[in-house]
Amino acid sequence: MSLAGAGSAASLQDVRLVIDVPDGRLLFGCGDLDLWAEHLVWCYELLGVKRGATIAVQDFGTSPLAFLGSALLMPHLNQGVAERLGGKFICLDATADRVALTPFVLTQLEIDLFVVRAEVVGLLGDACRKAAFEFAEARTRTVVAMDVFEPVPAAMASWRRLLLSESAMLIAPECEWCGCFHLRAGLYRLEDGAIRNLRLKSAQNRPLNDHYVIVREPCAKGPEDLRIRRAGEPCRKWSR
Amino acid sequence: MRSLGDDQAAEADAERWPVERLAAWQLDRLCEVIDFARKETPFYRRLWSEHDLTARKLERLEDLKHFPITTKEDLLRGGSADPTPGEGPVGFSTRGTSGKPLVVWLSAEEEEVYVRPTMRGFRWAGLKKGMTALLTSPVWHRLAACEAHAVARIGGRCAFFWGSILNPRHVESFLRTLDEVRPEFVTTTAPFLFWLVRHLESAGNSHAGALRNVAAIVVVGLPLTPRLREHLCQRLEVGDIFERGGTQEGAALDECAVHSAPHVHEDVCYLEVVDPQGRPVPAGRRGNLVVTKLASAGSIFVRYNTGDIAAFVPGRCPCGSSFRRLKIYGRPESSVEVAGKTIAAYDVRLCLEEDQTLVGRNLLLVREGVQSPQRLLVAVEGAGLNTEELERLLCDRLGLPGAKIMWLGDIRVRWGFREVLDRRELRSMGLNDSRENRR
Repeated sequence: MSLAGAGSAASLQDVRLVIDVPDGRLLFGCGDLDLWAEHLVWCYELLGVKRGATIAVQDFGTSPLAFLGSALLMPHLNQGVAERLGGKFICLDATADRVALTPFVLTQLEIDLFVVRAEVVGLLGDACRKAAFEFAEARTRTVVAMDVFEPVPAAMASWRRLLLSESAMLIAPECEWCGCFHLRAGLYRLEDGAIRNLRLKSAQNRPLNDHYVIVREPCAKGPEDLRIRRAGEPCRKWSR
Repeated sequence: MRSLGDDQAAEADAERWPVERLAAWQLDRLCEVIDFARKETPFYRRLWSEHDLTARKLERLEDLKHFPITTKEDLLRGGSADPTPGEGPVGFSTRGTSGKPLVVWLSAEEEEVYVRPTMRGFRWAGLKKGMTALLTSPVWHRLAACEAHAVARIGGRCAFFWGSILNPRHVESFLRTLDEVRPEFVTTTAPFLFWLVRHLESAGNSHAGALRNVAAIVVVGLPLTPRLREHLCQRLEVGDIFERGGTQEGAALDECAVHSAPHVHEDVCYLEVVDPQGRPVPAGRRGNLVVTKLASAGSIFVRYNTGDIAAFVPGRCPCGSSFRRLKIYGRPESSVEVAGKTIAAYDVRLCLEEDQTLVGRNLLLVREGVQSPQRLLVAVEGAGLNTEELERLLCDRLGLPGAKIMWLGDIRVRWGFREVLDRRELRSMGLNDSRENRR
């Protein structure tokens, strides 16, 4: 097993978790995960999530959105998202069979935030239509988790967005305040046109294609953060 | 709730306790769970009040039979969404294969209770400190969440492949992780393992010996016949395959190296097998599996009928464990009613595998669309052979008036949790009566 760039782990013996993701592999030592759970909570807060929230994620179990959900899901994670927010978490698998069940699950729960992997948004839309389930009626804040390269699913134009690139361990929220994506200071840096993860050695750089432009004016929610927005699209400000 | 941590030293050898001590332990836990449910769970408070059980105490384990058996429909109707103190922060959805899915909650206290039997089961299967375990995603199932923690506590390293065990397309991703991480221990579902076998067969030598480093695979999801286990071990070149069982509602079982049937972790769950009237049946007889979780944490389940068809195995296992053994044969979606009998796909497989050439071929039971048909209809992959002889064998072994085998030729049936299809669905597989006859 290649150990090149294993989290904070210095040797093979220190790697406790090997998590394969599309086009990459993330290696974590003891204590590495908590930084990322804290970051994910920060992302959710920028998306408007409050303490005590119930969060549902429709994604594969090895997505950071899933495995950072709670300390009950992952060893070597002291506090996941649920524990940090004092809330609840449920992950619904992103395979077609499970997506079909989602409307029935959501009717049993009061979900504050529902994060959906972009590639299953269409499937979910079909399932919701079949079950006559309306997110607006459920008062659930919906977010589509999409990679830098992915187009915004047309049907979900009104949904909020979260940039997610697993192999870069890149998680960047669309800020409710300024409408741009925040690349959090101290975690990411832009180098030679690519986003570089500063805290996880096993993470790969993520080229930032020309679909995004850098926004120079600072945002009060993260003055030090690098902010980007999709080219040709105004920042979508959700609240002031 | 009294934490099992209070008795950690004693509990370490709970599987060796004398029967009386285990029964006393279970009775204490059941009393706690019932008290807790009565005080804190609106659903059970209402239900037991309707049955005049508001003040009923348990004096003996047998007294539990006075409490009504509940079903998923009861819980969905009766407000399973009502929050219960201590139900926990993490939800899991059941598969919904027999109707709507149910959401169950896991708490830290409950996980603490369930991690230890998971460690016990993994040790039975040979997991040791320093090994790397390739695991199913922890968000998939309540028991899977305990698995990663169990591996970490034993001192192993956890690895996860990208994707889902519910999607055959992710076998390639599983193989990639397997090739590069070289785990000694693997957990997965039986259907996923069969998809893997088929993938390896179609891929030729490109992944030859991919699992040679694997000492043990622990599988859930389908009951394995002895020959199917041997078949998998040979095809995959792995040391051994162990069955693990369990339900989101609290049943937890693991197989020891004797492989006679999974042992119930009786220090964390109290399982019953009951007849259609709800009466416990003796060991060796099949009935419905009813689960009571012995922890007043997470979602509470008292006498919950899981819908599984199961039977306790009579006698004691040669391994020396005092925990009873239970074989789960299937669910409504893997069984049919014929001549008033419930026939599981497992039963049919067990018969047909007497012909060695049929081991590893998938089959489906066909629901004929009439009330209690007198004939068992089975669709089996591959070319036909010894048809009349096999049909006679099915009738003799299963005590049926009639049986018919349809040979599917080159049509491949996807291994899955569902092992029954309606007759009209045969058409979507390109089969009709005339084709059936031709084969």
